Amino acid sequence: MTTGRRFVGTVAVAVALVASGLPLVPVVATLQASVAKVPAIPGNPCSMTELPTPNLPYYAIDMVKTGRVPGTGRSRGIGEASFARSPFGVSISPDGAYIYNLTIAFERLKAPKQGHYTVWVTTAEVDRVKRLGVLDDDGSARGRVAWNKYLVVLTLEPEDNPEATMWSGPIVSRGMSRSGMMHTMAGHGPYEGEPCAKYGFGMVNPLRSPRPQ
Amino acid sequence: MTTPSLRIGSLGAFLCVISGVALLTVGLASQPLEPQQPPPPTPPEPQQMPPMPETEQEMPGMQMPGMQMPGMEGMEGMEGMDMMGSDPAAWRMPPMDRPMPMLPDLMGTTPIVDPFLPDVDPMSLPEAVPGAIVDMEDGDEIDIRASLVRRTINGKMLVMYGYNGMYPGPLIRAPRGATIVVNFHNEIPAETTVHWHGIRLDNRFDGVPNVTQPPVAYGESFRYEIFFRDSGIYWYHPHVREDIQQDLGLYGNLLVGAPEAAYYSPVNHEEALILDDLLMDDLGPIPYGEQAATHALMGRFGNVMLVNGTTDYRLDVARGDVVRFYLTNVANTRTFNVVFGGAPIKIVGSDVSKYEREEWVDSVVIAPAERYIVEVKFDEAGDVPITNSIQAIDDFRGEFYPHIDLLGTVVVADGATSTDHSAAFNTLRENVDVTSDIDDYRQYFDRPVDHRLELTLDIENLPQAIVLAMEFEAGLYAPPMEWNDAMPMMNWLSSAEQVHWTLLDTETGLENMDIDWQFEVGDVVKIELFNDPDTIHPMNHPVHIHGQRFLVLTIDGVPNENLVWKDTAIVPVGTTVQYLVDMSNPGDWMMHCHIAEHLEAGMMLGFSVREPGQ
Repeated sequence: MTTGRRFVGTVAVAVALVASGLPLVPVVATLQASVAKVPAIPGNPCSMTELPTPNLPYYAIDMVKTGRVPGTGRSRGIGEASFARSPFGVSISPDGAYIYNLTIAFERLKAPKQGHYTVWVTTAEVDRVKRLGVLDDDGSARGRVAWNKYLVVLTLEPEDNPEATMWSGPIVSRGMSRSGMMHTMAGHGPYEGEPCAKYGFGMVNPLRSPRPQ
Repeated sequence: MTTPSLRIGSLGAFLCVISGVALLTVGLASQPLEPQQPPPPTPPEPQQMPPMPETEQEMPGMQMPGMQMPGMEGMEGMEGMDMMGSDPAAWRMPPMDRPMPMLPDLMGTTPIVDPFLPDVDPMSLPEAVPGAIVDMEDGDEIDIRASLVRRTINGKMLVMYGYNGMYPGPLIRAPRGATIVVNFHNEIPAETTVHWHGIRLDNRFDGVPNVTQPPVAYGESFRYEIFFRDSGIYWYHPHVREDIQQDLGLYGNLLVGAPEAAYYSPVNHEEALILDDLLMDDLGPIPYGEQAATHALMGRFGNVMLVNGTTDYRLDVARGDVVRFYLTNVANTRTFNVVFGGAPIKIVGSDVSKYEREEWVDSVVIAPAERYIVEVKFDEAGDVPITNSIQAIDDFRGEFYPHIDLLGTVVVADGATSTDHSAAFNTLRENVDVTSDIDDYRQYFDRPVDHRLELTLDIENLPQAIVLAMEFEAGLYAPPMEWNDAMPMMNWLSSAEQVHWTLLDTETGLENMDIDWQFEVGDVVKIELFNDPDTIHPMNHPVHIHGQRFLVLTIDGVPNENLVWKDTAIVPVGTTVQYLVDMSNPGDWMMHCHIAEHLEAGMMLGFSVREPGQ
């Protein structure tokens, strides 16, 4: 039997976390049914370290904190990408990019004394940036992304400006789509004899398509 | 309202039914095609398979400096391949979309199976003609022959297969409720059958070898009775070595009409488009595996796009015309993302019914064996390209890149349409008949899952370099869908003797044909399919169920808000999809992945539906 390594659906589950001195912030995560939740002990922030890591969906995004913003050092964030609804079962743009509904959720994120936690998505080259929105009271932000490879960035912005096209505040946390793990094989593994530069890495890649400005 | 003109390719055709005998008249050739009494076939000479070279040094054509195959510029490590040999049936490296080096340990390696191509002088064969339409009524009979034909694609003369010497095979048009008889004759030098894909017909005529019938040997015949229970677009193809026989041209459409006058919206034209691809180079098709399919990992992606068997599909319309396209994907493995040059697209139906509600879409995603019915309005004069628009993966460089294939062109004339269907086109219909039909099944939507399947694979005896490369990548990133052959060398070298795709019943632990589910007519069964992303090489699977119809209830737990009856549906990597199957048709049936090479690699199971009490 292989049930131990399979997911049971991808139902978004909001897990209320109780942490002394921290606001109650749910996390949206997909939990495997067999993963038992360790109950948080009120008043004992150390209990949070016992929280099991949920068995995340394959395309989930693990947000990695920077530690640059006070009150965020113990935060944890998860991004869940699911296909936008489509009559075809797979949602694709006319140029062939996947269209995802993206939910970013944080727990144990201390409310800022000033400013707004804001979620952005950007291409890996950061040449295109889209503001997903300010974290709501549940610590979540939702939006749509139609890129195959992208980064998710949580920043602390001085203003809640829906018209903003680029962040200006410090980065709190960031993560990448699972496709970010796709990498060149030049110089690695079975192709270790193939020099990276020969294939355009470490220099301008002549095969790379021009990107829209 | 004008009567829609339905055509395949550039031929108009009509059928005269006289005293129950179907006579087909082809507009271009003006020659009756049916009934025909072909002469008894003469067995061709035994096919001469070139022996596998024992060593690289024995491979012909190895050292031909200065010569390169299209698409292979800059490729490294090809020194051991029979790149330029004059024998088109010898193994040679498939062309690639982008150059990439060969795994060092694979230089000179060829598939472990022998190469196969029909070994016949093409000039000895009749040239295939574009497909024709055959209108049939209840009780009509038609002869269909599978035979060798001569084709010319991209300027190359090829030996391919054809039904009735056509590409695609005849489009059989019949009303819902009719039963027709197809007298099938096999004139290709291999066993075959005909499967009537999506048709809920009598089990005896489902065309599965050694399950519903014995395979039809060369020179033999089989009589199929086909009952058309549901309106819509269907297709027929072999169920023996689909990776070869279907790929070489054995496919055709079945268009089942509806008695209701307003079943569809009024349109100016109806077009049946069969989408396909063919893997070939300057010598012709890349050989197939004789004892087992090659390309078992990802399926055989073609590099030449075909619409109704041609590379230059063209449709002429007037400005403002609305066209209803019946799309069928007969490719071995390629999922298309079809774009009509930005023209508005309305999705109307899919495999076995219309949708509950029509919707606007920007493109049409169609996996192997699926069908979609869409209406498109062409408001601007000029050439409108029909394209397959994807983000391909360069596995070696680890990046996506945009890739567009031109599938055909709609030429929109300056003159305005003779009949304006704008009002109907701009209206999204609610199909009450579909919703009402589905209403009877809503009580089962929340029922427990009856069977769970995990889609996975095992490998054995693959070259160590391939295993190493896959292990190197396993667990990092597998795309939900494979839109191109991202690793053409490794894929080509993987045969169905080395790759075993698996439908695993997680409750019993049984796999593939060891599974033998039993149902009764009237059962409504929930089957959950999970495409395991943690295998050594996950891939999307279009899973097809024979003889029944099903609803895609949920995808990753999200309910489907606009239902349509299906017989084939995509299960992307890492995704859990729930089918609700209407077990309405008794008999012994198949359920399998419709990627031809995955089917050949074992990814199928059987189930039985019995009358109550039997």
